[in-house]
Amino acid sequence: MAKILESPELSIDQLIDRPWVTIVWDDPVNLMNYVTHVFIKLFGFSKERAHELMMQVHTEGRAVVSSGTREEMERDVQRLHEHGLWATLQRDDKI
Amino acid sequence: MSNFEKINGAFTLDLTLDEAQILINLAEQLLELLGEGDFFHHYYSSDPLAQLLAMPAEIVTPEDPVLLRLLPNAYADPEAASDFRRYTEPQLRGSKQRNLRLIREELTILVDENHGGVIENIDPDIWLKALNDLRIALSVRLEITEESFEKFEMMPDDEPAKSVHAVYYWLGWLQENLLESLT
Repeated sequence: MAKILESPELSIDQLIDRPWVTIVWDDPVNLMNYVTHVFIKLFGFSKERAHELMMQVHTEGRAVVSSGTREEMERDVQRLHEHGLWATLQRDDKI
Repeated sequence: MSNFEKINGAFTLDLTLDEAQILINLAEQLLELLGEGDFFHHYYSSDPLAQLLAMPAEIVTPEDPVLLRLLPNAYADPEAASDFRRYTEPQLRGSKQRNLRLIREELTILVDENHGGVIENIDPDIWLKALNDLRIALSVRLEITEESFEKFEMMPDDEPAKSVHAVYYWLGWLQENLLESLT
């Protein structure tokens, strides 16, 4: 018998407040060192943090690299595209 | 042997004549694909009328897979992607064209005047981006996957695809070399 699903605590406020995120997707072309370099250059990450995110892209297929307003994420996506990384933006899907 | 070197804070690139010609050829092919039409300039004009006239009603999503990879959709939703493209694609395309033109110019001087040798004072950032775009373009045409390098190594020398794959992996080596010279 199916359990009664717990009602997810959704509210309009939460929906409105959910930030936008920039996601970088894995591809078989961009060099690992290059991706790390771009993360440091564009987001000011430490070498360790940039390496960690690069590895997340590589092993999990994607990683969230920044979050903020829609306009900020559009700028980040554009800069990532200028560097040849495959990036998209969307509402954060973690609630 | 390394092609890129950092000497007293300035970056140099050492290429043979053949290497320079391969790079010129690739840069020109990609420039042709990106289109030489340059409405970027007008789009960024401070004249409001020029801006208005240059703003396209719509920019269609590229059909060519190379262009779609270099100028990708920013949103999964087609409508949002199309809207974003309309406002940003001219700038993105322009930035890629400028990088490629710049390296083509430096390479052409090297070939015409010196028949190979060293390019002084290169901008590593522009070279990194241009080399990366060339690699991406080739990778789409060659359908590169994580397994491609192993297949390439197994290819017999008379396999026609081998030389193009060799160029692709050489570009990767060159880019890695530039990244190493940065640190």
